[in-house]
Amino acid sequence: MLPLSTFLFPVSLLSTLAFCATVTYDFDVSWVYANPDGLQTRPVIGINGQWPVPTIRVTKGDQLVVNVKNSLGNQTTSIHFHGLYQNGTTHMDGPTQVSQCAIQPGESFTYNTTVDQPGTYWYHSHVRGQYPDGLRGPLIVTDPEDPHKSLYDEELVLSFSDWYHDSMTDLLASFINIANPSGAEPVPDSALVNETQNLGVKVQPGKTYMIRMVNVGAFAAQYVWFEDHTMRVVEVDGIYTEPTDADMIYLAAAQRYSVLITAKNSTEQNFAFVGSMDQDLFDTVPATLNPNVTGWLVYDDNKDKPAPKTLDSFEPFDDFSLVPQDKEDLYDHVDHTIQLDMKMDNLDDGANYAFFNDVTWIAPKVPTLYTVLSTGANATNPLIYGSNTNQFVLQANEVVEIILNNDDPGKHPFHLHGHAFQVIHRSDEDSGFYNPTNTPPFPRTPMRRDTVLVHPNANMVLRFRSDNPGVWLFHCHIEWHVASGLIATIIESPLDIQRQLVGSIPRDHLDACRTARVPIAGNAAGNTRDLLDLTGENSAPGYLPGGFTARGVVALVFSCGVAVLGMGVIGGYGMAPIKAKTG
Amino acid sequence: MVNVFAVPVFFICFRECLECSIIVSVLLAFLKQTLGPETDAKIRKKLVRQIWVGIALGILICLIIGAGVIGTFYTVGANAFESAENIWEGAFALLASVIITLMGAALLRVSKLQDKWKAKITRVLETKDSNVIGKGRVKIWCEKYSMFILPFVTVLREGIEAVLFIAGVGVGLPATSFPLAVICGLGAGVLVGYLIYRGGNTTSLQLFLVLSTCFLYLVAAGLFSKGVWDLEQNAWVKLAGEGAAEAGDGPGSYDIRKSVWHVNCCSPLENGSGGWGIFNSLFGWQNSATYGSVISYNLYWIFVIIGFLALGFKEKNGRWPFMKAKPEAEVERGAESEASDEASMGEKKDGGVVGTTAVREISE
Repeated sequence: MLPLSTFLFPVSLLSTLAFCATVTYDFDVSWVYANPDGLQTRPVIGINGQWPVPTIRVTKGDQLVVNVKNSLGNQTTSIHFHGLYQNGTTHMDGPTQVSQCAIQPGESFTYNTTVDQPGTYWYHSHVRGQYPDGLRGPLIVTDPEDPHKSLYDEELVLSFSDWYHDSMTDLLASFINIANPSGAEPVPDSALVNETQNLGVKVQPGKTYMIRMVNVGAFAAQYVWFEDHTMRVVEVDGIYTEPTDADMIYLAAAQRYSVLITAKNSTEQNFAFVGSMDQDLFDTVPATLNPNVTGWLVYDDNKDKPAPKTLDSFEPFDDFSLVPQDKEDLYDHVDHTIQLDMKMDNLDDGANYAFFNDVTWIAPKVPTLYTVLSTGANATNPLIYGSNTNQFVLQANEVVEIILNNDDPGKHPFHLHGHAFQVIHRSDEDSGFYNPTNTPPFPRTPMRRDTVLVHPNANMVLRFRSDNPGVWLFHCHIEWHVASGLIATIIESPLDIQRQLVGSIPRDHLDACRTARVPIAGNAAGNTRDLLDLTGENSAPGYLPGGFTARGVVALVFSCGVAVLGMGVIGGYGMAPIKAKTG
Repeated sequence: MVNVFAVPVFFICFRECLECSIIVSVLLAFLKQTLGPETDAKIRKKLVRQIWVGIALGILICLIIGAGVIGTFYTVGANAFESAENIWEGAFALLASVIITLMGAALLRVSKLQDKWKAKITRVLETKDSNVIGKGRVKIWCEKYSMFILPFVTVLREGIEAVLFIAGVGVGLPATSFPLAVICGLGAGVLVGYLIYRGGNTTSLQLFLVLSTCFLYLVAAGLFSKGVWDLEQNAWVKLAGEGAAEAGDGPGSYDIRKSVWHVNCCSPLENGSGGWGIFNSLFGWQNSATYGSVISYNLYWIFVIIGFLALGFKEKNGRWPFMKAKPEAEVERGAESEASDEASMGEKKDGGVVGTTAVREISE
């Protein structure tokens, strides 16, 4: 069990008064051993020889500099600051082969961005499937002008997550595999809170705490509740909300909630709080799995910590009803609609993949941002970004609507880089595709966030303004589905990106590509002459044949032919007079 | 329909029952002929009764064995069967296919069968005769013995055969599809046996036999292919586990690496796809064909074709192909004359002196 103070003051880099201070972190990323659930020691990705990794803390307006050294030896890495808009610094966003090349073992790489937004965020590796091995931690942006400042006395951070005993490399190999045709995601082995279990959180009677909760998990959403304490939601994904009461929260992978909890006035009793993984997500639930992680609001260290009470059912708070504190109006005039129909299906290598509009994302040969920067006026042509990136080119200052139809019986938390979006419609389970003529009126001041859950076989509509030039991914934040291709690429005002960044990509970013021998110019296939020639681009396995192929027809004709011939021979023999040999 | 009527089961019952009927009819005919009107009607009646008793007893024991097999199958073996369903189905299908193949040819030569049995009966009776000093009572006693033992053994043998075949073919078929098929098969077998006994139109009888044999080989070819498919499917399910079962007939229900064709419909395994289920049990149809299932199907037919060509060659030339040729080979084609056929067949039999047209004579 870890002392809570670790999470309250993880790094002694408290910028005191300085406006626009520069906060610098040096991260030496390497393998360490850890056993957070007490069941199995395993190698995990730590920072500066430590795991859990530190919480990044900055104040709104600060310059955040993170110097990363990859000391993993056997894996590349990168860091994505989840939820930061990266206005003017899309090259600092972190996804490999999108806005940068992966940091090769032994290499260093600097992220440098201005954080001009308050709230609860997190950072994690954005190399395929890597962060659940441990490289994930909260990123807290404190706000001197927090509108809810007067409502609480102290702040706490709780990260929730699922945990696997096997490495992601091994799990991914068996996940995207012919032997897993249904695409059943590996089921976690444990649930963690603050990367441990049975966490005691010391509270003082009568005080009000703002608890910043982050789901840093790979897969599982968690139901979170505090026994006998009501939460007041004041922030979701960095957006302040009107304080709203909630007894239980559904914290999907990558989502954040800040809630206010007022401690009771007596110290007679300690209270359990629970994170319970949503087992609907799991294909099969092993009998040995404990889906819950328990912690306690500790009023008195000498009192016992009661086991949590059993619940009859989960009744989580519906975030759709939240109202942002700034009361930003609904964007009611749409300039650009993007429809994404998502499904899971198998390709002709027998493995299961995830699709937007029948395309599963495959990394382009050239990071998409570098294609933008190296193609001049052609950067506005979506075709140059390849056949497998689900690319959408936006113009500046459009109101963009994403209609997401979930043609899959699973729940998926969708995340958009570079923006928070208005969630203007979200249908109930099994309601099928979006039908604009048959929907309730949109909320006037819709909830905004950067990661939102779509229900099984249902749909949702998101809107945002394209006021942030950059290459932004829109993807499911279940890490398995990122690996199986549930990603779209939004290329927002590419000519503005060029104005901001041509010639100013830092040396170490270009060196990362050079070391990895990744081309940094041309279309998705690395072709710099004919940008529409995608010969040699990375592509997905082929589609499954819909029915009979030439091979099948030949086989069937042959089989029928030989059967007819055979019956002919039988008939000939059978109808021939039965003749005896004489003698 | 597949839930009500298992066609392969029908054919097996029909075939086995037909063989019994023929043997019984030969026996009855033999009795009628040898113990002509001059014989004591009482004795004849007694012998006839013994034949029926033999048949009845044979059937009874078959039923008991059948019940035992089924009982064991569904109780003791149920778990083992569940866990390795594909292996069981595959192995039984292959076995049944081989057996049907071997016995199918015999069905085409029912007249030969008649002759064979006539010879057999005669031999049995005559050896008995020669070993016995006196005649009269002893002879009658021996005949009495033969008339019981022959139908009894025959029915027993055919019946057990049928039980085993049905077990093989019927694995995976719903239990409800059995009774009607069995009853119809037995009925048809008795009917055709009776027709043979009566002598009927032998050409159309022969045509009927050819058609039903063709059908039987289609079934056997399908079974062979299905057997291979089942074994391959077993390997796939082992690899893909739950996912394979969940996939129904969609992607993931089969091993793409071995697929020759796959259509996302027409699966014989889906409920309510009756037609395809019949197609599967009759001809081995798979909506998801593998290299194994297609190649085995074709190889099977090639083997059958070669086999029948060789049989035909032998009948025509009196030797197997590629064996030393006998100088003149009689070639007789065209108009068939059952009588002449039977005559020649009769001559062929070693020591067979039973009237070659006995069956017909009696029937007139």
